[in-house]
Amino acid sequence: MRARASRSQAVRCRSYVPLKTPVKSSTVRLSVGWAVPTTTGIAWWAQLILHLANSDNRTSDLFGSECQVKSAKCKLKSAPERGPSGTLHFSLLTLHFALLFSLFAIPSADIAAAEPSSAVTFESDIQPLLTRFGCNAGACHGKSRGQNGFALSLLGFDSDMDYAALVHEGRGRRVFSASPATSLLLRKATGQVPHGGGARFAPGTPHYELISAWLLSGAPRTPADAPKIVRVVVEPANRSLVPKESFALKAIAEYSNGARRDVTDSTAFQSNDRAVVAINGEGQVQAGSLPGETAIMARYMSHIAVCAITIPLPGAVPDAAYDALPRLNEIDALVWKKLKLMGMLPSPNTSDATFHRRSFLRVIGRLPTPDETRAFLADNRSDKRQLLVDQLLQRPEYADFWANKWADLLRPNPYRVGVKAVWNLDSWLRDAFRRNMPYDQFVRELVTAQGNTFREGATVLYRDRPTPVEIGSSVSQLFLGVRLECAKCHHHPFEVWSQDDFYGFASFFARVGHHGGISPPISGTEEIIYNLPAGLLNHGRTGLPVEPKTLTGQSLKIGPDDDPREVLAEWITSESNPFFAKVMANRVWSELMGQGLVDPVDDIRATNPASNEPLLDYLAADFRQHKYDIKHLIRRIMTSHVFGLSSNPSERNISDTKNFSRYYRQRLRAEVLLDSVNDVLGTEEDFAAMAPGSRASQLWTHRAASQFLDTFGRPDPNQDPPCERTSDVTTPQVLHLMNSPAFNKKLATDTAQPARLAASELPNDKLVEEVFLRIYCRPPTTAEMTKAAAILPAKESRRPNVEDLFWALMNTPEFYFVD
Amino acid sequence: MTTHRNCEGLQRRDCLKLGLGALLGGGFVDALRLRTNAEPKTARKTSCILVWLDGGPSHFETFDPKPDAPAEIRGEFSSIQTKIPGVNFSENMTKLAAISDKLTIIRSVRHDQNNHGAGNHYMTTGSPTRIPVSCGAFVSFHPSMGSVTSAERGAPAGLPPYFSLPDMTRSGGPNFLGARHAPFVVADDPNNAAFQVRDVTIPKDVADGRAMTRRELRNQMDGLLRFQDRSTGDPVLGVDENFHQAVSLMTSPAALAAFEIQRESPLVRDNYGRSAFGQRALLARRLVEAGVPFVTLNNGGWDHHSNIFPAFKKQGQELESVVATLIEDLDQRGLLETTLVIVMGEFGRTPTISTLPGSTTPGRDHWSNAISILVAGCGTPGGQVVGATDRNGYTAIEKIYAPENLVSSVYLKLGINPDKMLYNTVGRPTHLVSDSRPIAELMG
Repeated sequence: MRARASRSQAVRCRSYVPLKTPVKSSTVRLSVGWAVPTTTGIAWWAQLILHLANSDNRTSDLFGSECQVKSAKCKLKSAPERGPSGTLHFSLLTLHFALLFSLFAIPSADIAAAEPSSAVTFESDIQPLLTRFGCNAGACHGKSRGQNGFALSLLGFDSDMDYAALVHEGRGRRVFSASPATSLLLRKATGQVPHGGGARFAPGTPHYELISAWLLSGAPRTPADAPKIVRVVVEPANRSLVPKESFALKAIAEYSNGARRDVTDSTAFQSNDRAVVAINGEGQVQAGSLPGETAIMARYMSHIAVCAITIPLPGAVPDAAYDALPRLNEIDALVWKKLKLMGMLPSPNTSDATFHRRSFLRVIGRLPTPDETRAFLADNRSDKRQLLVDQLLQRPEYADFWANKWADLLRPNPYRVGVKAVWNLDSWLRDAFRRNMPYDQFVRELVTAQGNTFREGATVLYRDRPTPVEIGSSVSQLFLGVRLECAKCHHHPFEVWSQDDFYGFASFFARVGHHGGISPPISGTEEIIYNLPAGLLNHGRTGLPVEPKTLTGQSLKIGPDDDPREVLAEWITSESNPFFAKVMANRVWSELMGQGLVDPVDDIRATNPASNEPLLDYLAADFRQHKYDIKHLIRRIMTSHVFGLSSNPSERNISDTKNFSRYYRQRLRAEVLLDSVNDVLGTEEDFAAMAPGSRASQLWTHRAASQFLDTFGRPDPNQDPPCERTSDVTTPQVLHLMNSPAFNKKLATDTAQPARLAASELPNDKLVEEVFLRIYCRPPTTAEMTKAAAILPAKESRRPNVEDLFWALMNTPEFYFVD
Repeated sequence: MTTHRNCEGLQRRDCLKLGLGALLGGGFVDALRLRTNAEPKTARKTSCILVWLDGGPSHFETFDPKPDAPAEIRGEFSSIQTKIPGVNFSENMTKLAAISDKLTIIRSVRHDQNNHGAGNHYMTTGSPTRIPVSCGAFVSFHPSMGSVTSAERGAPAGLPPYFSLPDMTRSGGPNFLGARHAPFVVADDPNNAAFQVRDVTIPKDVADGRAMTRRELRNQMDGLLRFQDRSTGDPVLGVDENFHQAVSLMTSPAALAAFEIQRESPLVRDNYGRSAFGQRALLARRLVEAGVPFVTLNNGGWDHHSNIFPAFKKQGQELESVVATLIEDLDQRGLLETTLVIVMGEFGRTPTISTLPGSTTPGRDHWSNAISILVAGCGTPGGQVVGATDRNGYTAIEKIYAPENLVSSVYLKLGINPDKMLYNTVGRPTHLVSDSRPIAELMG
């Protein structure tokens, strides 16, 4: 509920939308809070928030429909008085209202508000409303060609354009100062004349009156020397709720002269996950019915603030339950801390066999052999899990597997850059991981690459992304986790990035020279990437040259003999860079745990907070302290207790999808699955342009023909940028494993494992054990052994049945998921 | 499929084969979804068959001949009268001229993307490429018409909603709509006696009974714990739906019947022509009949920089024979009222005939200032020509439309709002079509 008085001292109390929670008057206590009292040219207001405390001492905020305000009795006691510091003081008489069948009264209150500015002006009062009511949204007048001849800048990033559109264009009929009510602006917005966007607010509402007052005073702009907004904050900045609870979120703008103003009314709110918590235009937050967490974004002009919401599981967990959890390293402590906040408990430790299979798939992208599994299960050393991680990190397959992940991000389309260049970059990547190149050096070599695309693999990045705009977007997304792309054309709609930021960053690449390199198809020719002596990038909108500027707004010193990319690489990899280590820590976490702490992994921003910020901070700091050693980071994560949790949910974490209270299952990547099929069956793939016996993980291009890899979703090289991999399971994938002639042919090959095992001396039960170890990497349970052995006839005639057993197991998710 | 070499030197077939199976994608997932929200059966819904002429067919040699132009522009072919007074087609389009009362010919679509990659993208998605792309590019910045139709319409009876035969067009993918809206590609040749759709039937050397035994054994061995509480987001749960759907498609005679082109009478099959293209058109009709809302027939080899006249004679005649048969067959079955047929490529060709260096025979080069498009069915008025080019066919001069307008018309006919806002994977909003005004003359 909000009390509002205009200069005429009539007080209005506005209603929020209905809330369904029933309230028993006998169980509640009421208290009153006032938000920042705010004045504009025509009115003052202050949000009056009624806190309702129920029997278990949780408070929730009341909204208008639950209490009927006797607004007639809501009056100012006297005319506002001017205080010594230029503030206005108001005294309210008792406010009466009805809640259910009981009448309540709030005692009189004294409020102080800043003195109203003398006028209602465009930038400070009117333009925010265009965002608040969705007028300048991408779907309406904010889209690039406007809507029905009326175009505004997207979300109000261009005040000059918006003012001109409202006041000067449309033959001046949009605003009419002499008679505001007949202005098209108000007639359209209130639906008095047909409006595609419908009625956005009603005549007589505060917004209507504000616009009227602005028009009456001649539609002035805000003077250039008026106080500027420094930042916007939301109150509260975080809040823990119970399911179905609601509260009023306030948005406060802070100005350069120290003034604070309640801008809740003019702020656009958005919940990152509406199923967890919803928010309406008035700032009323409504929790959903299930525990969960999300963030709410508040946008006022170009400023953003975020409120973090958690809805813990109902019911209490004793502290002792958390104290008793193992803490193998700091990761565990930080995950448990978050779980405690959410009222969740982790799943139990997983079995040795599952841990063993999981570790192989996550570190080297292949299944363990039966012998490796037997040895690990028989090992009695208490630190065998840590030892396993160390061994795996030394395996040669590590380099191919991890280089592949980077190839997903960097591998160009050979039709665009040429075969030899693609192969060259691929070799560079594999070599970097083979040598365990420190990550800062890896990034520095890519960002500062110079030379011949046929010799220096890293230069191919510049052949693939030849313009400063393209390479600038790629570098910021890959290494800083900042998606600048939007800011190329307009202010980023949910971040702070402006076009100036975009062009300033891209300008670091304005001196990249290209020589030669006839365009492909097929191979193209070599291209030389070098540094030009001078050059700046022109701003996309103003056309003026832009000096290079980092994303933290620093103009780095670049001498005439300096390479701007060297200077940029220095900044990117410096310890003070807030993004650099975090992005990689998040990527590696995601690769090992099945999901990023920030998701999507390369979209790090205030409005997309990590599910566990302290954990991400810790991982980033640890990575930095260990000289950006990627293997160290992997080891750190895998030697936590959290990595070894079971994927089976417990009662207190079944709803968890982002706090790592259990291990998250994931389908094997296309290449890993194909290699696994061949390893299990003892068969080989025959790829074009590869040596015989090559594994899918060694492919240098996504264009090597493979129905299998295409079906299981390797990145689509036709897309630019290539599509991210999906780990979805699709019906064609299921059909392919069941029916594809290629798979069935391998299964029935005389030299493949089913035939060999069938012909071997192994008795049926040993054979079943071998099959389970090959496919599931664990021995069968007694029940499984009984069922499987039951279908196997005598040794001489068992080959078809053995093939059937392989087929059956390889068509279950236990084979094609990492568990 | 025969292989075709476009000017950039790529063998189209190779490129397509290489990149395409990823898109074998999953119409089935939609079918799953639809099965659960099956609507009561109402009037037949609309469908679209897009005959994509990859390479860019000449407008002079098809629907916009210039008999009065100088010989170096007119070319070798004469023109013939159609049923539309005063309208002539090129001499090879006799069968289409004979049914011109059922067709709308648009002569005035134009754009500014003069290479294959970009032109293809613009015409099949209604959106120009965001950055310039080169001739050889296979790019996707925006979902294709087929993928959008898949997402917006779905398909009944377990069939995928979007097919592409025999492969995906360059920009025919789903982009941010996700792999499940990629076309279901049927690569094999339906003119082949042993034709069947891949992986939907058990392999020949596995007997039915054995396949059943395997599935039973699989179900017995499938012991990985699942958690039915949806909020866990356990991806293994989806596998069960996929597996169930795969088996029900494999064992559903009705769904598989749509693939069984062998069920058509020899006469019908002969009418379509015993060629891969002809039989694909027939398969497209069967799919539409079964309720599939979007089928692309990707037909390559229209990049006639050289040898244009002999090549065109052969291809042009096959094309018009198949298209005329398709339209007549749809009409006779009462399907033309609800089926939109579009025949087009990425652009037209240069007016002046020239012989490229290194070539021995003349041809025409890329020309996006004038494009002729054939449209029929789904409420499109017959017997009309929309727009015109100048007297030498250089550029559209009357009723000039952009690819956006064409694509918007297709969406409107399919019951899809072209002004809809889509959100890409990072939540960035994008209009389905940036200019959502249709070509009024198509809308009847």
